[in-house]
Amino acid sequence: MQGRLGKVKKIFIREEFCIACRLCEIYCQVEHSKSKKILKAFKEEKDLISRVLVEEVGFNSFAIQCRHCSEALCVEACISGAMIKNKNTGIVICDENKCVGCWMCIMACPYGVIKRNISEKKVASKCDLCGDEEYPVCVKNCPNEALQLRDI
Amino acid sequence: MSNILEDNHLKAKYVIIGNSAAGLSCAEGIRSGDKKAKIMILTNEKFDNYSKPLISYFLAGKIDLKNIFFKDHDFYKKHSLTLLKDFNVKKINFRNKEILSWDDKKVIYEKLCIAAGGVPIIPQVELAFLSEKEEPGNNSNDSHIKHGRSGIKSRIISEIDIKNIDGIFTFTTMDDSLKIKKYVTANKIKESVILGGGLIGLKSAESLLSLGIRINIIEMSGRLLPSSFDKTASEIYEKAFRDKKSSVSVNKTIKRVYIKNNKVVAVETGDGKVIYTDMLVIAAGVKPNIDFIDEETEERKNLVFLRGIKTDKYMRTEVRDVFAAGDIVENKNVLKNSIENIAIWPLAVRQGMAAGQNMAGFFKEYSGGFPMNSVEIFDIPGVAIGITNPDNFDKKHLEIITDYNRDLNVYKKIVIFENKIIGVLLIGNIERAGIFSGLITNKVNVGKIKDLLLKDDFGVIQLPAEYKKHLVTGDAVAL
Repeated sequence: MQGRLGKVKKIFIREEFCIACRLCEIYCQVEHSKSKKILKAFKEEKDLISRVLVEEVGFNSFAIQCRHCSEALCVEACISGAMIKNKNTGIVICDENKCVGCWMCIMACPYGVIKRNISEKKVASKCDLCGDEEYPVCVKNCPNEALQLRDI
Repeated sequence: MSNILEDNHLKAKYVIIGNSAAGLSCAEGIRSGDKKAKIMILTNEKFDNYSKPLISYFLAGKIDLKNIFFKDHDFYKKHSLTLLKDFNVKKINFRNKEILSWDDKKVIYEKLCIAAGGVPIIPQVELAFLSEKEEPGNNSNDSHIKHGRSGIKSRIISEIDIKNIDGIFTFTTMDDSLKIKKYVTANKIKESVILGGGLIGLKSAESLLSLGIRINIIEMSGRLLPSSFDKTASEIYEKAFRDKKSSVSVNKTIKRVYIKNNKVVAVETGDGKVIYTDMLVIAAGVKPNIDFIDEETEERKNLVFLRGIKTDKYMRTEVRDVFAAGDIVENKNVLKNSIENIAIWPLAVRQGMAAGQNMAGFFKEYSGGFPMNSVEIFDIPGVAIGITNPDNFDKKHLEIITDYNRDLNVYKKIVIFENKIIGVLLIGNIERAGIFSGLITNKVNVGKIKDLLLKDDFGVIQLPAEYKKHLVTGDAVAL
């Protein structure tokens, strides 16, 4: 596999280090907002969607996002050809121009990490590993390394 | 062309009948193991490829012809596939490994995958041809039709009638969608009857409504989407239709369609009510497209189990070197442990991939599946997974938990058998629906988390430890 950093990596979820601060969600929302500016995004843009989800029960918590499965059920279920797994990088991306919002992917994903975005045209919204950034912003901004990007 | 032999026949190592989800997935599967040998894809349509479920989005104008393709335009080139369009299979001669078309073309295969999909079911509806003076249903005595006393000609509807009579349509192909679009525009249609309240009926209804056409859905059973919805789920959508000045009639059939000047003018329901309409969409379900497999032959007996083509776990049929995949197939329903036809997109893709890899010499297993579908009609999303109406399960081990919020139009239903989820119905709120698909597929024991399943914050974190661990470790990607 070949990617922008030329390395094969994996996001590790480290439940024992997550304090449910939800900074990953905040940075994800900003990264995927129109303005990409935190104040503008939260004050002026509506329906910001985080593609990483913090789950919390009592003192236990973790953040989970798309696992970019090798046999991705969302890709298999997609009727429009929008959900594609890049054969070189392994990254699963939803082409929002092609997506029709049928939600077959939401029905298929066993992690429940694809969201319904209905703010404009209905599209499935999911983790793209921050294609424009060097590192995914959820990993970069986690204060406690509860999300870690490691070489494998 | 190199593929034309001296005797003018076409020949390929791999031939696939069908150019949709299963067929193209099969081609990819073959190519993953055999980069060189010739692959020929036969389609009776005139398009490169398009997504059949998207024809309703096209009719509604939500997507254009440029975006209805689910595989890129360079897909065939990239995988060196030869696509033969307008190839209408007449019969397959399995002994000589030949496929014959209605216009006398012949294709010879070494290995064949039948991925010909489904065709619409045409119910036994009577067509009554009225003269200029006659009116629909004005003779209360039905016998005039049968005996022709009043001179009204009638016959049972056929596929040719649907082609030839103005205003009668089926809705399973791009061609159907184009014809309907043209007809409703040219005739400024304001009202349509839809026979059938299944997935195709509902999607065509929504598209027509968005074009400003009022609709009447006539559904034979007691609810919409009878195979996956229950009465509560159905009523949420029935109400949405009524709010759009349309109607849904359940427990009703159409017994007669009135034709005047070769055009639909009205339908008459089983209980004698006449509905005037310019248009009728027949959406009474689909069946495996097996007409080209000669009924008289031994192969037909071997290939067909109930109504489709039976395949083993390698997607092989009972006939040597013949595989099958997609909506034409009968294979295992893992929730019922039965062999049946489950015509859904994800399984078509999975079966096609397995068939292709096996055709290329790997042993890739297809382990069966279960029905699941997702709809969004009038902004109300709905997901049905597995067995949502568990009529044939031992009640002693069966639990059904539901939650219905009438104000929000949110309904959730979970069917549990022997502490494992076998069915889920989610209307109005489908967030994280796939977690349930995973629990069903992996037969996870949910005995200890039953009371959490319907909670809004239900997620991966509440799942049993072993299964959760399996979920949070993911695949690697290249950055």
